[in-house]
Order: sequence, then C-alpha cells, then structure tokens
Amino acid sequence: MAQEKTGRFPDPHEFQVPPELEGWEEMYPSHHLFSKDRAQWEKEQFWYQDKIHAPDPLPPLDLIFQEAWQIALSQYTTRVFCIPPAQGIAQRLMGCYLYICAIAPPAPEIIQEKAGHFEKRVFYVFEHYDELWDKWLSKFKTLGKEMEAVRIPEELPKFVPDDEVLPAPTGCYVSYDLIAAFDTLVNQMFKGWQYHFEMLNLTYLAYLMFADVARKLFPGISESAIGKMVAGAYVSMFRPEEELCRLARLATSLRGVAEVLKGDGTVQEKTAALEKTPDGRQWLEEYEKAKDPWFYVSCGSGWFHYEGSWLTEPEIPYGYIKGYVERLEKGETIERSLDDIEKQRDAIVSEYRGLIKTDEDRKAFDDAFNTIRTIYRYAEDHLFWVEHWFHTIWFEKIRQLGSLLVKYDMLEAVDDIYMFNRYEIPELLTELATWWALGENIPHRGTYYKDKVKKRKKILEAARQWNPTPALGVPPEEVAEPFTIMLWGITTDKVKEWLKGVDTTAAGDMNEIKGFASSAGVAEGPARVLKLLKDIGDLKPGEVLVCPSTNPSWAPVFTQIKAAVTDIGGLTSHAAIVCREYGVPSVTGTGVSTSIIKTGDIIRVDGDTGVVTIVKRAS
Amino acid sequence: MQYVRDLKALDRRSLPLVGGKNASLGEMIKAGIRVPPGFAVTTDAYVQFISQTGIRETLSKVLGDVNVEDVSSLDAASRSLQDLIQQTPWIPDVREAIQEGYDRLCRECGVDAVPVAVRSSATAEDLPTASFAGQQDTYLWVQGGGQVAHHVRRCWASLFTSRAIAYRVRNRFPHEKVFISVGVQKMVNSKAAGVMFTLNPTDGDPSKVVIEGSWGLGETVVSGSVNPDRFVVDKVILEAGVKDISAKHIECVFDPKQGRVVNADVEPERQCRCCLEDREIKELVKIAKYIERHYGKPMDIEWAIDKDMAFPENVFIVQARPETVWSRKQAKSVIGAKSGYQLLMEQAMKRIKIP
Repeated sequence: MAQEKTGRFPDPHEFQVPPELEGWEEMYPSHHLFSKDRAQWEKEQFWYQDKIHAPDPLPPLDLIFQEAWQIALSQYTTRVFCIPPAQGIAQRLMGCYLYICAIAPPAPEIIQEKAGHFEKRVFYVFEHYDELWDKWLSKFKTLGKEMEAVRIPEELPKFVPDDEVLPAPTGCYVSYDLIAAFDTLVNQMFKGWQYHFEMLNLTYLAYLMFADVARKLFPGISESAIGKMVAGAYVSMFRPEEELCRLARLATSLRGVAEVLKGDGTVQEKTAALEKTPDGRQWLEEYEKAKDPWFYVSCGSGWFHYEGSWLTEPEIPYGYIKGYVERLEKGETIERSLDDIEKQRDAIVSEYRGLIKTDEDRKAFDDAFNTIRTIYRYAEDHLFWVEHWFHTIWFEKIRQLGSLLVKYDMLEAVDDIYMFNRYEIPELLTELATWWALGENIPHRGTYYKDKVKKRKKILEAARQWNPTPALGVPPEEVAEPFTIMLWGITTDKVKEWLKGVDTTAAGDMNEIKGFASSAGVAEGPARVLKLLKDIGDLKPGEVLVCPSTNPSWAPVFTQIKAAVTDIGGLTSHAAIVCREYGVPSVTGTGVSTSIIKTGDIIRVDGDTGVVTIVKRAS
Repeated sequence: MQYVRDLKALDRRSLPLVGGKNASLGEMIKAGIRVPPGFAVTTDAYVQFISQTGIRETLSKVLGDVNVEDVSSLDAASRSLQDLIQQTPWIPDVREAIQEGYDRLCRECGVDAVPVAVRSSATAEDLPTASFAGQQDTYLWVQGGGQVAHHVRRCWASLFTSRAIAYRVRNRFPHEKVFISVGVQKMVNSKAAGVMFTLNPTDGDPSKVVIEGSWGLGETVVSGSVNPDRFVVDKVILEAGVKDISAKHIECVFDPKQGRVVNADVEPERQCRCCLEDREIKELVKIAKYIERHYGKPMDIEWAIDKDMAFPENVFIVQARPETVWSRKQAKSVIGAKSGYQLLMEQAMKRIKIP
C-alpha cells in the first residue's frame, strides 16, 4: 500500500522545490539536509512538516532552536530517562521548511536495558516533582540572567581604554569579547534547551498514561474532555494577560491615566504624557515591574526573530490595555476567575469519577490523575520561561551583535544577522575583529556578506510564497509514537487527510476538512487566513481565525473571533486550550486548512465533531 | 376500586396497579420531568372486566389447555381469547371511568377530542430481568372516548397474542399473575422523536448519552423502519462527538384524510437535514442525565419534540425504562488494582508501531 504512488508522499531525494528557491541549501548546516550518504535511511522514514516549531521558512540563525531541541528532546528519551521503546525525533530541511520524523524503536535488548534505567530514574522525578520544579525554575532564571549579562561591545574603540592596559594589561580585548560573546550565547541557548526537556518527556508520558486510563473507563471519551480534566488555571502563560488586566484596572483607578491610555497617540507619546503626572508615573512604575519577566512574551511563538515581543513591540500590550480600559469603563469584567476555572475542572473530574463503577477502577483513576496532575504544570509552565522569556533575551543580544555589524558596514540592517547560521556568524565576527586589529584603512568583505543577505532574503521570500508539501516519504501504517501524537497531533487519520490534500491538485475541490474537535460548539463566519503571525492586525471581530498554530500572545484576540482553525495542534496546543477557556469553538490539527481555506470564505467550524466546512467560497 | 388514575398521581410503587410504563411515567412527572399528560386504566379495570363478565374462567381454561409447541393450537387459542376480550360487552362502571378519564384529559389540554396514544403497560413488562419490549401494542392518534375505550380493549387483548402466551410459558410467568394496565397519554405532535440511552449501547461507555432520532413520531425509530440520525454526546462536557446524519426517507405522521398515522415520504431536501437543533440535543442530554440519576441506573428513554410549542417546553419524555443489556453485565474492574507508577511503566513500555 505504502508503495503505491498515491499512498505516499514525495520521496525526499526526488522532491523538487520550486526553481526560485535555488541555492536554499547553503543557508543551513550539512546535518540538516537530506543527503546521499544517508539516503537509504531517509527514504524509509516518514517526514512531516513541523508547523508547531517552524510554520514559516527558517531564517538560518533561527535554526539554532531547532538544532537544540533535536538533541535535547531526543536524548532525554533515549539516554537520560530511557523511555524504553521510544527513540528520538530527527529533523531535516526541505526548501527552508523543517520536517521531522519519529524514529522507530530500537532492538528488543536495548528496550529491555532501557526499562531498567527508566524505572530507577523516572519514579524519582515524580516523587520529588515539587522540589525539582523549584530547583528548575531558579536555575533557569539564573541562566536567563547570565545571558542577559553577556556584554556585547557597543563599538570597537580606536584604542582600548587606559584601564584595560594600566596598571596591568587585562590580556584580552574587545576582539576577544566579540567572538567569545557569541560562543557564550550559543552555549547558553543549548543549555536552556537541555533544561527545557528536563521533565517534559515525562509529562507527556504521564499525560498519555492518564488518557489511556480514561479511555479504558470511558471508551468514547474525547481528547478535549481529557484535556479539560488535566489543564490547570494558574499557568505562567496566562500571566502576561493577567498583568494587562491588572494594569488596566489600575489605570481606571488613577487620575487621568485611563484617558491617556485610551488616546490614539503612539506609545512614546503616551509614556511622555504619563511621565508628567504623579499618577501617570505610578502607573508606569507598575508597568515596568510587570515587564520582566511577563512582557518578555513573544508576539508569536517565540521561534522566529521577526515576531518581536511585547518588549520590542509595546504597541501590542498598550493596544490590549486600551481595549481593556474601555471594557472596564463599560462595566465589563475583564479578568477570568482562575478559581472558577479550577473549580470547573474539579467538577468535571469528579463527574467522570462518579461514573466509574468499581472501587478498583476508581482507585486506579485517582492514582493516574494524581500522577498527571503532579507533573502537568511543567507542560504548561516551561513554555513561557523557555520559548518566550529566554528567547526574547537571546533576540535582544543577537540584535546587539547585529547593530555592531551594521555600525562597521558588514551588514545593512540589524536583523540581517539572522540570515547567517550559527556556524557562519563566528566567521563574520572573526572578520570584524581582524579588520579592527589590523589597523587603519583595511578593506573587509562587507559587500560579500551584504550580497549573501540579499540573495538569502529572496530565497526565503520565495519559500514563503511556496506551499510546502505536508510530508515526505512513506507514511507509516500506524502513527503511535506518543510525542508525535500528543504534541504535533499527527495520527493515522491525519496522514490520510493530508494525502487527500496532496492528491487534490485543485484545492477548490475540497469543501470539508477534518481535525481535532478541540473546543466544543459550532460557529460560522468569514475566514481570516493568517499564515504569518505578524498579520494578526488584519483580523476583524467576528471572523474565524485560520492559521498554522496560535500562541499565547494572541490571547486577547480570542475574545474577538467566532472560532479558530489550525493546521497543527495536538492535545496541548495553545489554540485548543485557549478556545476552551473562552468558549470559542475550535478545530485543530487539520493539516491543510491554511492552504485550502482562503480569506473571505464563509466557513463553519464544528468543534463537537472536528469538521470544518467551506460553506461559500469568497468570490 | 379505581379504574383510572391520573399519571400525576402515580409513582414507581404504583406498578402492580398500573404496570411498569405508567408507573414510570408517573414517577418521572413527580420528579419534574416533562411528560405529556394522561391517565392509566388500572389493572383493577381489567380484573373487574374479566371477573364481572365471567370470562376469567374461560381464559384460564383455554390457557391451561394450550400447547405452546403446537403452533396451530396456540394460534387458535390466541384468536379465540382475543375475540373474547374484544367482543364481550362492556361493564358500565369501567366504560364510564374511561370516558371520564378521557374527558378530563381533554379539559386539561383545552382541546376537544384530544389525540392520544393508547399503550399497554403490563405488570410484568419492563422489568430489567424480562425484556418484553414490543410484545404489547401501541395505538397512536386515537380520538374520542369510544375509540379510546375500543383501543383499551385491544391492548387487553394483546396479552393473548400467540407470542405473549408462548413467552410467558417459556419464561414460567404464571398467566394469572400477569395483569394489564393501559396508558392513555396526550399525543406529542412531534417534529422529531426517537430514543436515547444513558450509556453507549455499542461499547457500554457510561460517560455518553446516545440519541437516535428521526422526523415525525418516534415509531419509525423504535421499529427500525428508518436509519435515524445518531448523536453520541459526552455527559460531562456535553460535546456531541458523533453526529451521524442519515437520509430519513419516511416519517410517521397523522394523516387527517385517513384519520390515522401513516408513514409518509419525506421530501428530498429534508431527508438529510439534522432532525435536532444543538440546543435540543443539549436539553435531551440534560434530561437523560437527570432521569438516570433519579433511577440510579442506566436507562433507555423515548423522547419527542413538539412541533407547535416553544423550546424548551416542547421537549417531552414519553417513556423510560431500565437499560437491560449492559446493566446485566456485572460491574467488573477494567483496569485492575494498579498504582499510578505501574500504569506509567505500562505506558512507557508500549511498543511503537512504525513499519
């Protein structure tokens, strides 16, 4: 079956990307490319596009996060906690898009060997989870602060200052700092990602275990029901929005502050106006307090440099605050009651529990539930600290390096630094250091780098216009790898749906798309397809959001939309969680929605059955 | 002697007097569930009829002689007993009581000659241990006291169908201990109707309500003459995970020209439309959960949605009985005594199938 032409995705070694992408390979390190020497193995695997971590074409430097998680996620499964039959997740790039593959289990004797380690190592983590989490958070915060403290030279001085030479030479100078700073940042990034997976694999495992117990007791229970039992309310990812609510409320209680915030001026004009009054200053002070860490939240997923954060794009939090202030003045409640959310969850759990018939099963259910509740917070909390807070710090530092390169005419724009991968940047920095060290009137290869940037930007733009294949290689008979199902929402049915999408050359033929019924309810409305996170401003109230996946900084948007549809998103996907929170119907993990639905199409989203119907095509 | 009793005056303890169905309807009304109004013709009325008319002796003699393994003898006995019940002249007390019951119902509904459903309600029927379902008769859209009385007797006669006689003999129910009551209940002029179960009958999942429904009266669903729409709804989070919409080609409706209910063709554009609105599904689930909680066991429920009334007053329950298949299975642990860690280890060891 898998051998039939229609039952498989393109062979990665025969696949042709559009000609405009010519030269894309040179942007990335060799280990991330499909390669002749590994062809046999690569052909036998199933590679699907990772829209969770890389919905967009990858700027070369942003690949560092992917490189880091490939190692970290995989090693915890294979070598650290030793989840017996599971192996790692491999990555490849095709036409600037990231494809991933869950590797088949190892030989039985390895599985056996791993089982021994697993038992010894994993239960310890569950037993000591609370103290481990405290330790984790404090060491992670320390790492972030260390990264923040890495000093990037602002300029290359004509002569090093006296105090670096007298009374005794420090021995190494700005040229060294420059090269070392980037190396340090890279090392810290890799360390952060090792920390990221410290407990995540186990969290997913516990989730799957609980889901399995729930399914044995209630054969037809849905993913969203399981998700509702497990999800917590006191989650770091909700904090940025809570802080906005708090600031909005504070604004309405202070004199003259709400008026300024409601105005149409820029953030700069607003802060300047607030600086003039004591109440304004008090509010700004509170804003500053909330900023670190909560406004380090990315405007996107945290995976791309161009997304920006609330730190770099203050118009976003200020815009949300304006909306909240207006709603408060209308007498509306803007905060969600977290206690109520917790209570609702407890009520759901106890109602299911009440349906269990035997004492033994009830005990097993309780045990399974306590196990997942012990650790599930990790799944909810780590995201803010790593993908948002930590990445935002990284982007700040990299931009400082970018500014330096611009200053000495190696690059044209600060963000052009992202057009080089992490192995190439030391080359640029070394050249800059050399140029400085050699003395006056020395030429450097700025033009060469600038041309490279131009070419690469063109390729990335072409890649963005291209609609990549959802998968490559041979689809498995059954997709059962736990993390693949849980995080990416990839199931056998999903793959079949994708194959349908691939076979349908004219997307106009397809009027029904299936996905996960992740938030109950039915809604109909005009679609707004947002392939790029930065286009969120186009969204109008009452539209149905259609996007690759959502992320936390979109939270306030969920009060505006009628429903949400995503290409990718498993049980813990952000869109699923937030839509349930807001009672907005959603279908996640549809695989092909952003390519089949067009902005303006009238679509119906059935969050009960997981079906998205195109009711009327936009003319 | 009370020959008729208002459904409102009944509860589950009334079973010996009014049979399982009627007692259950009374029980539900008491519990605040929306059930169409009506009355029960009690077993006393039946007993009084067969005693005073003197046909009781004939009944037990014929039944005593019948050989259920001999089809022709069984059929002959059945025919003669059914004729006897239907042709013996009424005793006035019982006949008048039925008329009064019906007149009262008409007044209550504010309608002259209110259409009613006449259903038998046997005292041995609907017990979880003896699924008699379908063995007694139901007559729909009966109007006028004379017609009601006539159909009451047809219900009485249904105790003596060949199948019913044979069933009792095989299951060792003494004939003289099975009495029959009849329920007379206002017809719901239903837009859609059907059945629902407070567990999933396919896999026994106790967290689901499964609803089957079709256009018109519920008889098409109960008899299996259409493929109904099917909804599987989670009891806790109330999402309908399955919504199977079928082509419902016929519907059971009252035909005023013929003066009876008929199976009419459904116009093509309505066949594949969902017969229930989302809010109606939610309301049915709410009621199903309530009924299950009230009885403390899984239930099998018949419902109907009135055409003319407004939501939610138009959602009616016309019958509820204990579910018999899964409830009979002994509650056995499906997971076994396992700790969270054992479960986690099992999960971790699961083989991953990727060819």
